[in-house]
Amino acid sequence: MKYEVFARINQGDETKHIGNVTAKSDRLAKMYAYNTFDEEDWDMLAVVREDDYQRVSNDPKPTVGVSTSE
Amino acid sequence: MSDWPEPAVDYVQAITDTKLVLGHRYAQWALSGPSLEDDIGGASAAQEEIGHVRQLASKLEAQGRDLEWTKGQRDSDEFANAACLDRIDGDWTEYVASIAPADRAAWYLLDAIDEDDLEGLITKMGEDEYFHLEYHDARLETLAEEDPETVQATLERTLPQALALIGPAAYDESEDPLYEAGFTDRPVSEIRAAFADHYRELFADTDVSLEGVDWDAPAVDDWDETRRRTGTDAISTEDVEQLRGERNAEFALS
Repeated sequence: MKYEVFARINQGDETKHIGNVTAKSDRLAKMYAYNTFDEEDWDMLAVVREDDYQRVSNDPKPTVGVSTSE
Repeated sequence: MSDWPEPAVDYVQAITDTKLVLGHRYAQWALSGPSLEDDIGGASAAQEEIGHVRQLASKLEAQGRDLEWTKGQRDSDEFANAACLDRIDGDWTEYVASIAPADRAAWYLLDAIDEDDLEGLITKMGEDEYFHLEYHDARLETLAEEDPETVQATLERTLPQALALIGPAAYDESEDPLYEAGFTDRPVSEIRAAFADHYRELFADTDVSLEGVDWDAPAVDDWDETRRRTGTDAISTEDVEQLRGERNAEFALS
């Protein structure tokens, strides 16, 4: 399963997407992210399952149906 | 002359040797993992283990142990590493099920030390070890799903070997010389129980059975207190040559 990796260097900084890892469990994904993105002393490092993305865009544009008869 | 209680130098030497050989094994397998992330993790752990060895070697030197000897100028049968690291044949599954118990046992021994002089160093090592051990457990969980037979067969051999590094079950509150001397804050019997509980819990809901593991090993009469194992097996002479860096000596900075 693919996981996106997010991090920030200091508390209050913008949280940025820094890459991704592929892992067979959440626990393993966290360790892969820790080892792979070890270039900074992160204040926060997190992984999110790709499947858990609640996509707002990148899907067909939502439309609101408007009845012409009104 | 050492100011630690008498068996303490051998105790720390066994932890150091386990980390030395562990770092070597991590490095040997660092390009053989099933994914790039596994390789990166192995390479990272190798560097950290060798860093721990450097720190512990300086502490041992302060207790009178020759630094060059600690760094590898000795025969293979003088190394006191966990026996499950002597050689790792087979595939990735056997590799993980061999290094994981050794790394955890060495950490438990280190964490039990109650010496002001070592406290800061052990705390820092613990920060590294958290991620080593968490990675091993995460990996063992996935391997327990993919290949439970190999995990189980390997652990039936490697868990008793790691228990031998920790020490014999007979070393309880009244028999453990380092606990009695105040060098450690818990006896070997307590460390063994924590070690066994951890693996029983890790595999409780998997197809890996630990019922075939000899949880009572080693017998105290068979146990070599210096090398913290039973028997006379050892790492290979080629391993020792590689640890010394003999073939690359001409490239050493002077």
